[in-house]
Amino acid sequence: MSSETGFDPALYDRFPTKAPRPDGELEELERIWCAPKGWQLLTAVNNNYVGTFYVGAAFLFFLLAGLLALAMRAQLALPLQGILPQETYNQFFTMHGTVMMFLFAVPAVEALGVLLLPQMLAARDLPFPRLSAYAFWAYFVGGLCFFASLFFGLAPDGGWFMYPPYTSTTYSPGINADFWLLGIGFIEISAIAGAIEIIVGVLRTRAPGMTLAKMPIFAWGMLVFAGMIIIAFPAVILGTLLLELERALNWPFFDATRGGDPLLWQHLFWFFGHPEVYIIFLPAAALVSMMAPALARARLVGHELIVLAFLATAFISFGVWAHHMFTTGMPALSVGFFSAASMAVSVPAGIQVFSWIATFAVGKPRYNTPTLFLLGGLFTFVLGGLTGVMVAMVPFDWQVHDTYFIVAHLHYVLIGGMVFPFFAAFYYWTPMMSRRALSERLGKWIFWLMFAGMQVAFLPMHLTGLMGMPRRVYTYLPGRDWEITNMISTVGAFMIGAGVLLFVIDLARNFRFAAEDNAGNVYGGGTLEWLPTGLYSTRSIPVVTSLYPLWDDPKLADDVEAGRYFLPGAPTGLRETIITSPLRAEPEYLQIMPGPSVWPFLSAIFTAGFFLILTVQAYTPAVISGILAILCMLRWLWETDRPVAQEEVDVGAGIMLPTYVTGPRTHGWWAMVVLLIVIGMIFLMAVFSYLYLYGIHPDFWVPPPDPVWLAPIVGGYAMAAGLALLARRLLARERTTLWTPPTLILLAAGTLIATFAVDFASWRATGLTGPASGQGAIVHALLSLQGLLVAIVAIMALYLAARASRGLITKPTNTSLDMVVLFLVYTAAEGVVAALLTRLVPGAA
Amino acid sequence: MRAWALLLGGLILWAAHFFALYIVASVFHTTLTARILTLVLTLICLIGCALLLSRLRSDKETGDPFSSWMNAIAMLGALGGAIAILWQALPAVLI
Repeated sequence: MSSETGFDPALYDRFPTKAPRPDGELEELERIWCAPKGWQLLTAVNNNYVGTFYVGAAFLFFLLAGLLALAMRAQLALPLQGILPQETYNQFFTMHGTVMMFLFAVPAVEALGVLLLPQMLAARDLPFPRLSAYAFWAYFVGGLCFFASLFFGLAPDGGWFMYPPYTSTTYSPGINADFWLLGIGFIEISAIAGAIEIIVGVLRTRAPGMTLAKMPIFAWGMLVFAGMIIIAFPAVILGTLLLELERALNWPFFDATRGGDPLLWQHLFWFFGHPEVYIIFLPAAALVSMMAPALARARLVGHELIVLAFLATAFISFGVWAHHMFTTGMPALSVGFFSAASMAVSVPAGIQVFSWIATFAVGKPRYNTPTLFLLGGLFTFVLGGLTGVMVAMVPFDWQVHDTYFIVAHLHYVLIGGMVFPFFAAFYYWTPMMSRRALSERLGKWIFWLMFAGMQVAFLPMHLTGLMGMPRRVYTYLPGRDWEITNMISTVGAFMIGAGVLLFVIDLARNFRFAAEDNAGNVYGGGTLEWLPTGLYSTRSIPVVTSLYPLWDDPKLADDVEAGRYFLPGAPTGLRETIITSPLRAEPEYLQIMPGPSVWPFLSAIFTAGFFLILTVQAYTPAVISGILAILCMLRWLWETDRPVAQEEVDVGAGIMLPTYVTGPRTHGWWAMVVLLIVIGMIFLMAVFSYLYLYGIHPDFWVPPPDPVWLAPIVGGYAMAAGLALLARRLLARERTTLWTPPTLILLAAGTLIATFAVDFASWRATGLTGPASGQGAIVHALLSLQGLLVAIVAIMALYLAARASRGLITKPTNTSLDMVVLFLVYTAAEGVVAALLTRLVPGAA
Repeated sequence: MRAWALLLGGLILWAAHFFALYIVASVFHTTLTARILTLVLTLICLIGCALLLSRLRSDKETGDPFSSWMNAIAMLGALGGAIAILWQALPAVLI
């Protein structure tokens, strides 16, 4: 067998070990991994707790958004109803869509990732538990405040996609739109934090031997999901930033009368918005692919094809964004390309559907509640997929665009593709987290109410749409033949509501959180999450040799529980997990993990405070909250990156692993690279916006500063990057004093600041301002992004100097220094590209 | 990185082809130039797929189950990518 890292796979043969484990080892594990109690639960970072909070919060938002839907359906049940006034109705449909998409669907699957992945991968926890806690609290606090805007009549009312010019200050003068722009932008940051955690977790914390070929399909789904978030979400982050800048500072990105273009928003939004559908669907599909084998009692048919289907969906989904814009007058050839891609994306979805059908066909399925939800979801999703292919055809799309046909289509796809699998997952995995399983008898009632309700509510909606009823109208006149289908839809909606209410009752009666004495493997799953676990995850980390380890090795659970595999104890006396290589999962080093802390919680509160207070234009408190958030984050980081006394430890069977590793092999390096990809994508989207605005309105553009300015700018950025790289190199030299590298980093940061100032001043000298034109706006947006990065580098440099002053910079290499150098070099490179782009394209001509 | 590049090679080529077509259609609209450029780009990407497939075929027999698994996925991806590239170019001929 080949090796990826030089690790000898023959060492796996030492497991399971035979020697008895020392007394007190398990008790020490329990002590180290125990979670705080009472109010201190706010500081918990264990994935069991954070994951459960996360799922619970996502479900709460599902209930709240569902209530809004019921109110809307009541309003539409009959013509000229007066239950909801027009303005309130606008806020309700905007909040329903926004909350379902941003506060339920994406967080719910991310939450399941945090909850299930460590157990499925047999890791002690995900690699950045405090980041998970931060992501959760930021999302929960921010989401609640965002939702509360409804009670003050301040909720956004421009639809979940907030098209300008409708959402510009001219047509939406209040702060309702700002709540959406700042609130959603902030919640996306939380989603990205979770995605970084998931990518590094899946690639670097798998159990030894769990190669990509033996990785559970849910981990594949979550890996692709997180990768898509990293590529897609920056587009909406940039879009919301630009629209907020337009509203706050009058920079006309989307104002066609001043060199902007409202369609730019649609491109940015849908570049995120359509992949978002697959971002929601893929993890749910992965859940189905995990449950189907256990429920059908057969191995998943076409495992490899499903992996390929995930990857193909991820790629193709980025080529379909403009199918939401078929009616905007794009060139015919462009429309043709997007139509072709939109049809193509149904092929990988079809592969998965056939795989699930085949799994049930070859197995001996039990028709219990999760099976019913799974099959009901499959049926519903296929119907939604078929209408999806219909709307991919341009002439048909022109007919049904913005009608209730689209509402029906998207609900079939999302409820069939995500909501039903999510409920199936609730029933299937609750025994892993609760002392009691959920009720089968009630579950079947719930399923039939929800399934029948779904069809009753949304099947007639296709007809309502084909009969011409537009979306987003708060009422309609009698005599248009819309009354009957609307009334049927309303009855169906309340049937779904009744099903969900029963589910809440079932949860209240039966769900009792328990990480240890849980109900266990009720459905007979074959993957690692069904090993006996405590808050430390599994007692020891097994060597994985198949896709269904529990089915293929009936003794595995006993051996794992007896501590006969990797890491049966805690050799450093701290929280720790094994970091393995990304392809073949070969053990590389032992990661020391941080424990409970209040700082991620406080950071999240103050970050939420910054964005939400900004919404109400209280700038001073917002800035104070932002500064406090940064200080809390630095305090949280201060305790990390500290080598322990033992340089190497025995992780079982005499296999020794290092406890402190730096450079590209480390999980921290990987996380920073993923973060830089996010920042790079935001920049790429800004570059797209720049070129787009120039392409649409070149007549508004003025000559840039003299290209002679490029010499000091490019030179300055190159010098800063050079100083940073030199600092890293010097740290490794024995003669270097510990103060030299941080000093060089401070110098590099100073050079960056000076260079940025030159760049900014050269633009100001041209007289071009942000409000002047689309060019002024986008150039100043690029300068703002660069200024933000430079400011972060300055904070990082000061932080590094503070660590040096306390002797926390280790020689010959240091992770904190590596991170700062990476970030600094990236900032310099982005500065060079931005300076060249804005001066040379289109140039002085 | 090499392993990932090979694994995702077919899909990366599809993505490169798609975005190139988008740029061509945005700049040249529905013109003869756009159609010719579309066909040229399609040919280049198909050659890329063919090269990738031939490379993967030569790597096929390693005797290592994991390498064989990666190779099988990569080959399927390259094959699927080639079909998707052809499909993606059809509008240039049909519209």
